Amino acid sequence: MAVLEKDQMLSLAEKVVGTALKKGAVEAEAYVYEGQATNVGIERGQITKSNTIIDRGLGVRAIVNKAVGFAYTNIIGEQKPIEDTILRALSAARASKPYQDWNGLPEKKPYATAEKIYDRKILELQSEGLVDIASSMLDAALSINKRVFPIEGGAGAAYLSSSVANSNGVAGFDRGTIMECSLAAVVKEGNTVTPVCFEFNAGRDYNVDPVWVGEEASRLAVSALKTKRIKTETTKLILTQFALQELLHFTLINAVKADNVQRNQSSFKGRIGEKVASEKITIYDDGLFPGGLRSWAFDGEGTPHQKTALIEKGVLCNFLYDNYSAKKENKESTGNASRAGYLSTPGIEATNFRVAPGNMTPDQLVSEVDNGLIIYYLQGAHSSNPVSGEFSVVATPAWKISKGKITHATRGVMLAGNIFEVLKNVTETANNQRQMGQLVAPWICVENVRVIGK
Amino acid sequence: MEDIIANLNEGAVQKFGAKYSEARAQEIYKTMLTVKEGRVEAAKQGIEKGVALRVLVNGAWGFASVGSLNPEVLRGAVSDACKMAKTASLRLKIPIELAETKTVEDHVQLKSKKKPSTILMENKINTALTINKTTLGYDKRVKSCTIDYLDLTGTNYFANSEGTSIEQDNLYVWSRITASAASKGVFTFSREEIGSTAGYEVFDVETPEMIGEKVANRAIEQLGAKPPKGGKSQVVLGPNVVGVFVHEAFGHLAEADLALAGGVLQNNFGKKIGSDLITFYDDGTIDGAFGSFKYDDEGVPTQKTLLIKDGVVKGLMHNRETAQKFNVEPTGNARAENFRVEPIIRMRNTFMAPRDHSLEELAEDIRSGYYFKSFRGGQANLDGTFQVGIQEAYEIINGEIGDPVRGASISGNTLETLFEVDAVGKDFELWPGRCGKGQTAFVCDGGPHIRVKEVIVGGSA
Repeated sequence: MAVLEKDQMLSLAEKVVGTALKKGAVEAEAYVYEGQATNVGIERGQITKSNTIIDRGLGVRAIVNKAVGFAYTNIIGEQKPIEDTILRALSAARASKPYQDWNGLPEKKPYATAEKIYDRKILELQSEGLVDIASSMLDAALSINKRVFPIEGGAGAAYLSSSVANSNGVAGFDRGTIMECSLAAVVKEGNTVTPVCFEFNAGRDYNVDPVWVGEEASRLAVSALKTKRIKTETTKLILTQFALQELLHFTLINAVKADNVQRNQSSFKGRIGEKVASEKITIYDDGLFPGGLRSWAFDGEGTPHQKTALIEKGVLCNFLYDNYSAKKENKESTGNASRAGYLSTPGIEATNFRVAPGNMTPDQLVSEVDNGLIIYYLQGAHSSNPVSGEFSVVATPAWKISKGKITHATRGVMLAGNIFEVLKNVTETANNQRQMGQLVAPWICVENVRVIGK
Repeated sequence: MEDIIANLNEGAVQKFGAKYSEARAQEIYKTMLTVKEGRVEAAKQGIEKGVALRVLVNGAWGFASVGSLNPEVLRGAVSDACKMAKTASLRLKIPIELAETKTVEDHVQLKSKKKPSTILMENKINTALTINKTTLGYDKRVKSCTIDYLDLTGTNYFANSEGTSIEQDNLYVWSRITASAASKGVFTFSREEIGSTAGYEVFDVETPEMIGEKVANRAIEQLGAKPPKGGKSQVVLGPNVVGVFVHEAFGHLAEADLALAGGVLQNNFGKKIGSDLITFYDDGTIDGAFGSFKYDDEGVPTQKTLLIKDGVVKGLMHNRETAQKFNVEPTGNARAENFRVEPIIRMRNTFMAPRDHSLEELAEDIRSGYYFKSFRGGQANLDGTFQVGIQEAYEIINGEIGDPVRGASISGNTLETLFEVDAVGKDFELWPGRCGKGQTAFVCDGGPHIRVKEVIVGGSA
C-alpha cells in the first residue's frame, strides 16, 4: 500500500486551519483521514470475491460568532476542492445559530503513545495471503462437520491514519492497522436450519487464528441444530461477549455519555458515588488499551486518549466527555470524541469499554449454574429503550444449562428486563476477556432475568 | 463522464480478460444538521466523488473503489480490480455467472417540486428548530429532543461492458426526530422518521408542527404505561408494525442471497407458507417513496415484484447473479450504498396488500390482547426467528383499545406466524426507514392493520 505520510497529513491539516482563519473563522479545526483496506470474501461455501478500497478525506469545522459550521470533501489531492470545503464550512457557520455556551475548541495537550496498534507486516500483505487465511478457515469449518454450510465471511486487512489540527495549536497524527477474519455458518437438516452462528478474530497485528474461527463457528452451528423449547421462568443467565456487547451498546454506554446526562437522557444523572451495579462490576473506558481495536493516541478532536474509571466495584464514578460537554461542567475532556472518518463532526463514544474480568474459568462459571441459560447472540437489542434501559429481545441461539452442564439448544427464547437491574444482579465474571467492537469483557453470570419460553 | 467509465470497462475486458466489467461513478452532495434542544450542533455540507469498479475474471468478483475521478487513478483501479478477481478465483469451485438483461441507455432526471439544493440552509435550520420547539413545548416532562436532518442529491453514472449506460439523478430527504420524557423515575423515548425521494415538499405534507406533536405525545403517553405480560398473546398490529414485520420476518428471507444461504424460503417456492390473507410485494416504482429508483446498481430496471400471493410464495428478490442461479429474470434489487461498496440484494418498498376489515372489527373479538402501533426496531434470522421491538402499544380488553403499554417486543417464527394472520384491514400506510445489511439502504415498509392469533410478547411482567 502506498499511504500518505505523517508530514503530508499534518501539513495539510495545519494549512487548512490557517486558511480558514484567514477567510474569517474565529476558530478552526481540520481532520484529515486515510483508510485503505483489502478484503477477501466467502459466500456460500467458497471464496468468490476480493476487494480493495482507498478512502481519503478532509473534514473542516469553522466557528464564527459561536456558531459551528462543518464541511467535508474526499478530493484532497487538489487545491480547489480543499479551498471550497473551507469556504463551505464558513458559509455553514454563518447560516447556523450561535450557542452561548460554546467554549472553544480543545487546547493543546501532550499525547501518550497507544501501544501495539500498528504492524508494518499488514501493509505489505497481499490479497493472496488473505485467500490463504480465508481458505484455511473454510477447511477448518468443514473438518468439524461436513453438513456445516459456511454462508459468509472472509479475511481483511486495513490501514487507518488520521491527523487533527486546530487554531489552539493542537496538531496530532496517528496511524494503525487492523486485521480480521470471520465466518458465519449454519447447519441444515430437512426443513430445519439453525440460526446464523458467527465467530471472528480481530486485532491490530498480523496474527489471526482462522482455524480456531472456522472450527468454533462450526461447533456452535452443529450444537444449535437440535433444540428444545423451554418454559417461561425467572432464571440465571451467562451472557457471552456477543450478547453483552449488544445489550450494553444500546443502553449502559449511552447512560455514561456526558451529553446524555446533561440532557436528562440518562438515569445516571446526579448519581456519581452511588452504587449502580453489583460489586463484581468494574468498568473502564481505556483509549490507550494496548492492542485495543479502538486504541489511538488521541480522539476525534485531538484530545489525548486516557483510561477513565466509570464504575468501580459497582459504584458510578465518572462519565465520558468530549470537549464541549466537559467545558460545560468546567471539567477536562476524557478524550471520547469520536468521528466516522472525515464524514462527520465529533460525538461522544466509548473507546475500549473494559469490563474487568474475574477469576473463574468459563467452565467453572457454567458448572456453578444449577438451572439457567448461556446466551451467545441476541436479536433486537437495538430496539431497547436507550434511556430507561428496558430491553425485550430474542436469544438466537441460547443453550440450556442444567446442574452445571450445557445440555441442549433452545428455540425462540425471549429475554425481557432492564439493563440496570441486570447489572445489579451480576453474580460472577469469568476470566476469559476478549474484545468485540468497543467492548472488552469476560462472560458474566446474572441472576433473576425473565425468560419467556413456550 | 459516461465515456470515461465506458473506457474503463473496455480496458478491463481487453487488457485483463474480464468476462464482465461495470463502473459506477458518483457525485454526492449532502446537507446535514443536528439540532439538540434548539441548539444547532453543526450545520454540515459535504461533497463526495468516486468510482467503483467491479469485474468478473475467471468466474470470481474483483472490486476496487477510489475516491477520485482522475483518469490515471481510475486506470489503476481497473488493474487492481482485475488482479483482486484473479486472486479470489484461485480456490473457486463454482464460477459466478450473470443472468442476461437488456442493455439500456438512459438519462433519468428528477422532477421534484422543491429541490433541496434550492432551499437555503437557514430555512432547513428553521424547519428543524420548529420541530424542536413544538416537541419541547408540548409538555414540561419532555426533557430532550434531537433532530437529525440529511438531504442528498447527486448523479450516478453506470456503464458496463455489455453496452448499458445510465445517468441517473438522485435525491433523498431524510430526518429523524427523537424525544425523551421523564417523570417520577420513569424514562421514555420516542422516535419518528421522515424520508422521501420526492423533494423538500415532504415537509408540506407532514408539517414540522405535526411531527413535533406526534413525537412528544408518544413520549408523554408512555410515562403512564405499564409493562406487558410476557408470553403468547393475540394482537392487532398497526401498519407501521406490519411494515417492519413484513420487512424483517419475511422480506430478508425473500432476498435470494439469504435464501441460497440456507434461509427457510429456499425450498418453499410455489408452496403455501401463510394464510390465504397474505399477499406481499416489494415495489421500486412508487412515486416519491423512500425506496424507489428507476435502475438498480447493476443497471437493471426496477419493478413491482410479487413475493407472496394468497399465502403462496411467488418470487424472490434478485440481482443478476442469483437470478442466474434460479433461472429467472433479475428483479432490480441490487443496490450499493455508495461507490465505496459493492451492490448487494436489498429491499425497496416492501408491503402487505390490504383486504377488508376496519380497525374496530379487528379488535372487537379480542378478549385480552395488545394493539402494537409503532415499532422501535426489528431483526430477523435465517432460521425464521424474528423480533420487532415496540415503542407504542396499548392493551386490548374485551374488544376495546385501552391503556398504554411500554417496553414490549414481539417474536415468533415466520413460517408459523404467517399462518396465524386471521384478519387483514382495509387501510394502508407506507413508512420510510433505513435498513442495515452491512450497508445502509433507504426503504419503505407498510401495509394495513392486521390481527394475529398468536405471537410471543416479550414482557417483563
